[in-house]
Amino acid sequence: MSESMVSVSYQDRLAIVSLNRPDKRNAMLPSMLEELQQRIIECSTQAQALVILGEGKVFCAGFDLKRCAQDPSGQIMSQLLTGLSAVVQTLRSLEIPVVLGIHGAAVAGGCAMLGGADIVVADQHCKLGYPVVKIGVSPAVSAAFMMASVSHGTVRTRLLDTQLISGTEAKRIGLVHEVVEDIELVRSKSIQIATGLANKPRSAISSTKAWLNEITNPMAQNAQQGLDVSVSLTGSHEEQERLATLWG
Amino acid sequence: MSDPATQPVRLDIDGLIATLTINRPEARNAMSLEILDGMHSVIDKLAHSETTVLVITGTGRAFCAGMDLKAVLIELSGDASVGKQLLTSLAELTLKIRNLHQVTVASVNGAAIGGGCGLTCVCDVAISHPDAKLGFPEVDLGICPAVIAPWVVRKLGPGVARRALLMGGIMSGQEGHYIGLIDYLAESREGLNTLTDSVAKRLANGGPKALSATKKLLNAIDGSENDKLVRKGAEISATVLATPEAQAALKARLK
Repeated sequence: MSESMVSVSYQDRLAIVSLNRPDKRNAMLPSMLEELQQRIIECSTQAQALVILGEGKVFCAGFDLKRCAQDPSGQIMSQLLTGLSAVVQTLRSLEIPVVLGIHGAAVAGGCAMLGGADIVVADQHCKLGYPVVKIGVSPAVSAAFMMASVSHGTVRTRLLDTQLISGTEAKRIGLVHEVVEDIELVRSKSIQIATGLANKPRSAISSTKAWLNEITNPMAQNAQQGLDVSVSLTGSHEEQERLATLWG
Repeated sequence: MSDPATQPVRLDIDGLIATLTINRPEARNAMSLEILDGMHSVIDKLAHSETTVLVITGTGRAFCAGMDLKAVLIELSGDASVGKQLLTSLAELTLKIRNLHQVTVASVNGAAIGGGCGLTCVCDVAISHPDAKLGFPEVDLGICPAVIAPWVVRKLGPGVARRALLMGGIMSGQEGHYIGLIDYLAESREGLNTLTDSVAKRLANGGPKALSATKKLLNAIDGSENDKLVRKGAEISATVLATPEAQAALKARLK
């Protein structure tokens, strides 16, 4: 049995699920995403709101690119993209609200997690972005979810440009909803917001969330198409060459 | 060969980065048929170019003051069809720009008004400075920004676009940045070129296939491939433009 990379705890009506691979900045592996998916589904039936956090210095640095670079077939990259898309879709389809608390950095795959959240809390200096075209990877997998929340122009810039932005800037463009001054406050603020949501009438919350999902459905329906585009580039010459330059 | 300095629309290529410059400073780079034809021919060339980034900018103090109002005032031009020709040409131009494989960057050096602001919205990335004058004052002139509305909605989001298009008026680059019309704001007009260069170079570092595949996907899912919407917008704008109300408001403005 391999070591767990996701931890779960309960606090009153909340379930708190944390990415737990701090020595690797919570970099994602296919097994980690599978575990995350399972834990989310299990605890969603036992809580009235879900909080997602990361252990250690940062929320999540994205995919474990070192492992990807060691796999010329591109299979690990493809599994990561598929696993990540499944997690985001699962979060979005939950009946209970999801609060995502990001601190330090939520980059690439880590930033894609925002697509599944109803409310995002970040520290003001948290680094966010999708700088993956430079390694020959298309962030298309995130496009549909981003378009269901922020303006299309914002999506275009954030996915095509590799520049990382701060938590403060992310709030300005609507990607983040609450900014706290200090990294230490992300957890408590996320729990505070989730507690407020959990204490509201359950059916009002779940039916409102379902309606919002339905309204933005034309966007979310393109999730599979976006995943296909991202997967189609895995193992490509461009990607392998660029990954090898970084990690070879 | 004509002198590049006198060409109404210039194309410069430096490695992977192409730059289109609207070069009609005496008319604040307003879109006449000549300017639009020049832009069409540059964009057509770029569709077959290996460049990965296109910067669009203007010569002089303005980026693009929008449609050439003198040309669409029937009393002055004596030709009621010019307005429709301009709007149709603008519609087709925006569709072509959106379909380019290059990532497009509007480097908004000064006023971007009406159609000029629409041109900013059709680009993937917009850069400007706090003192640029931006906006959609079409309704103030009795005309309807229908032709550019689909691009404005996609750039700003439905809620913000509704406010911007219905309330008209002009905003600063600073305000444009806050509402998401401008992605990156230089500290001053003087700093714009440096910022534009650094953004263009950063974009050009992306994998060409990854960039074009991502852009194509974004176009597919945000409705940009819906050519009919923009063409219908041009018809609506043309119909409104020909009304006595619009012509009277334009005439008053040009006096």
